[in-house]
Amino acid sequence: MDFKTLGENIVARAKKLGADEAEAYLQRSKSFNVTVRNGEVETLQKSVARGLGLRVFIDKRLGFSYTSDLSLESLEETARKTVELAGITEAKPWQGLPDFGPGILPGLDLYDPEIAGVPDEKKISIAREAEKTGRGLDPRITNSYGASFSDSEGETGIYSSRGISYAFKETIFSFGVNLVAGEKDAMQSGGWSSVKRFFKELDSVEDVARIAVQKTVEKLNPKPVATKKVPVIFDRYAAPSFWMGVLLSLDGDSAFRETTFMSDQLEKAIASPLITLADDPTVPRFVGSMPFDGEGNITRRNVIIDKGILKMFRYDSQTARKAGVKSGTIAGRSGYRSMPGASFLCVTLDNGTESGDSIIHGIKEGLLVTEMRGLGTDATTGSFSVGCGGFWIVDGAVAYPVDGVTLGGSTLELLKSIDKVGNDLDMRGGFNSPSFRVAELTVGGKK
Amino acid sequence: MKRRLFIKDGAYASALMASIPIVARFTTREVEALLVPGLEEDGGVFLPPEDLKKLLEIALGRGGEFAEVYMERRVVNNFSLDEDKISSATRGVDMGIGFRVVQSEKTGYAYSDELDFAKLKEAAGTAAHIASGNVAPGVRAFRTIKPPSNYLVKISPDGIAAKAKAELLLRANAIARAYDKRITQVSARFSDTNKMIRIANSEGLLVDDSQTLSSLGVSCNAIQGGQRSSGYEKKSGSYGFEHFDIKLTEEMARKACAMAIRTLPAEDAPAGEFPIVIEKGYGGIFFHEAIGHSLEADFIRKKVSCFWDKLGQPIASPVVSLVDDGTYRGGWGTVNVDDEGQLGHDTRLIDKGICSAFLQDRISSRLLKMEPTGNGRRESFRSMPIPRMTNTYLLAGESDPSDIIRSVDKGIYVVKIGGGNVAPTTGRFVFSVGEGYMIEGGKVARPLKGIQLMGNGLDVLKNISLVGNDLLVIGGGICGKGGQSKPTGFGNPTLKVDVITIGGRKI
Repeated sequence: MDFKTLGENIVARAKKLGADEAEAYLQRSKSFNVTVRNGEVETLQKSVARGLGLRVFIDKRLGFSYTSDLSLESLEETARKTVELAGITEAKPWQGLPDFGPGILPGLDLYDPEIAGVPDEKKISIAREAEKTGRGLDPRITNSYGASFSDSEGETGIYSSRGISYAFKETIFSFGVNLVAGEKDAMQSGGWSSVKRFFKELDSVEDVARIAVQKTVEKLNPKPVATKKVPVIFDRYAAPSFWMGVLLSLDGDSAFRETTFMSDQLEKAIASPLITLADDPTVPRFVGSMPFDGEGNITRRNVIIDKGILKMFRYDSQTARKAGVKSGTIAGRSGYRSMPGASFLCVTLDNGTESGDSIIHGIKEGLLVTEMRGLGTDATTGSFSVGCGGFWIVDGAVAYPVDGVTLGGSTLELLKSIDKVGNDLDMRGGFNSPSFRVAELTVGGKK
Repeated sequence: MKRRLFIKDGAYASALMASIPIVARFTTREVEALLVPGLEEDGGVFLPPEDLKKLLEIALGRGGEFAEVYMERRVVNNFSLDEDKISSATRGVDMGIGFRVVQSEKTGYAYSDELDFAKLKEAAGTAAHIASGNVAPGVRAFRTIKPPSNYLVKISPDGIAAKAKAELLLRANAIARAYDKRITQVSARFSDTNKMIRIANSEGLLVDDSQTLSSLGVSCNAIQGGQRSSGYEKKSGSYGFEHFDIKLTEEMARKACAMAIRTLPAEDAPAGEFPIVIEKGYGGIFFHEAIGHSLEADFIRKKVSCFWDKLGQPIASPVVSLVDDGTYRGGWGTVNVDDEGQLGHDTRLIDKGICSAFLQDRISSRLLKMEPTGNGRRESFRSMPIPRMTNTYLLAGESDPSDIIRSVDKGIYVVKIGGGNVAPTTGRFVFSVGEGYMIEGGKVARPLKGIQLMGNGLDVLKNISLVGNDLLVIGGGICGKGGQSKPTGFGNPTLKVDVITIGGRKI
């Protein structure tokens, strides 16, 4: 049965069983994954999967269930159980399907029809070549975690009693390699990958291998640093983790319930005027894009921080209604097994103007962070602390690798003291950022 | 942050395998399908032995030395309370079959969640593609294993009326609301996962297991002036519903509130090197991350772990003995059999400071020629088994916990560790501390916020100087590795690490 028929049927069935409102979320996918190590195929996986998540509301009470069994008997049972579950929960006045009705889906060009035509041998050879190239580029590379190639194609559909009836198809291709440099207790690991919607757009094997090698060998022989306050640069690959942490504190329901330090910051300056951060999952052919969100809302660009001013929290339709927020809901959904929830979908910090040289220029002593081991921001208290790896900067130039250092501060103070933003944005996924510099942070290390 | 991971999981997982996060903190929202296992009707769920034999023969059709069928049915129930009301009741049913074919170091894997025999034959044939050339050994006659049970389940939570679960949550809420007027938000959640598996392999193994995991959590937030804090408490294990009652719920609610109130006046943590004392219980996450992952045999056989050549060598102070115990009764990571059908095992990883074993799955134990340890685990039929911890804990020592605290003049007292990650190659870890205090003059003093623990597993093991006599093993953690999430238990007695790097704000 096609998604549309299946989705609309189960919604109708749930309504017949007593639901006021119902929404079906359907997914299917087909995936391939190979890992290669030391030139040999280590694992080869293929899978086909599908499933349904059903959300119903009865008198503003919520029930949800999911199943991977799409047989008619199972669907009937799922509809019946979900309606039963809604009977167990308590009513909340804001519960119900989103208020928006159907619209026109944008064509985002997320599906590569070539996926069927790429032979397994080709995929395996890409992984094999990536590893071989990486191992051959630098004598300091001593071992390999392996290389991999994955692809998958999938379809996602959403159907509701409010007339929403959408589906879209997507593909994703990726390959990468993880390497080890050095010997014994001085080993370091690193890697790199390329992830794209279209097979032909994948980065070259040489480029991925070269960056993987660089990201591995550059960490060799790190030195400890002493605890002190210095300027800190987050490079463009460490910065996305920082923004992820900040965005966790911008949950609308948490703000409404005053459980986040950002609660009272709407329309206030929370960051340096250099900072403009937006959620935009509408870029055609991009990995982070999608035509509709987890509640069937057609996606659009939303500015979260505009020149330092906080413009919005994230709400799904339930939490928005609860907080009295009229529009601008954004819901994520991690799959048919879970319910939608407020979430940013594809976040990018606007590019700045500083070149790599100018951003580091003038730093007498400081830290360049290339890897964050966590998100840093405590969404409740607003304290910022995280472990990281990177390089010590001396007299405006990168001097040597460091590890075992921590950063400590307050997220709001950190955001406000960003004094330079780089022009080196590289769009890679759900969180994207150019590098940026913070005037001063506590770097913790040895005494 | 929610992302649509459905098709992306596979694509990202392998590219990101070097980073191994554990989320061991109770989050009231967003966790959904990960956490929770129960049982429904027993009979007729799984394929009969004769069908399994046919599928194994197809799987070995192109050669290969080993083939396996893993069947799973999982029912997950979640109940949560928010803003004084039972806000969500969800239920999920997942069922499917994974096929694995192994030829030396190579593995072919395919699964199907469509259970008609034609689809299953196709999946078995897909897994077979990895093999070539060798003549397969054939499928041996099945011998059924009936493992002894390490689970503490009398009453299946899946069969419990929603009302009984709701009552627990409402009681927790009432107690927490009355605890202190500074408590502003209360959430509570009961989850149960009920999983039935049947594993059959070409060597003749045939085993069934029913695993039930239950978890009750209470969390709250407090506000006073501009200060905010949170508190949480949870009880999780391979428990039946008989382990949860009103009295326990009330106690948990009080503890969660006490934590939030205690930590309201928290000050910024200092940065630098300090001695630390880790209270019994949550410190086990530390051993899980900082040591356990690096002892997993896939990292060992690939020589990418800092411990790969350390077997039989001293790697820790002599007061340190670490086990991974799949047989721990009622544990959150406890297994009767692992996901390859190997019996759960109590494995001494570090014996009085000496590295004495690794955590094995089938492939690693064959290639390393070491005994199996029952650590081949997988998230579901959708994934291949890999070496994973079960319940990892430090054995009790001889010190009195209060003497341990008294031995520190200026240091940090760690009560709850929130989560962290490790790079197995370097052993370098970082943890965030959920609840911690300064120790001043041998006494636990003011609360701190923003504490990060950072260091290298090898160094920390050598710097453990005192181990208490008060071992506590707990559950509730979900460990991620290679894109697969798995419940793991952990534990520790109160212990002292002579020096560790603290990342904080104050200098």
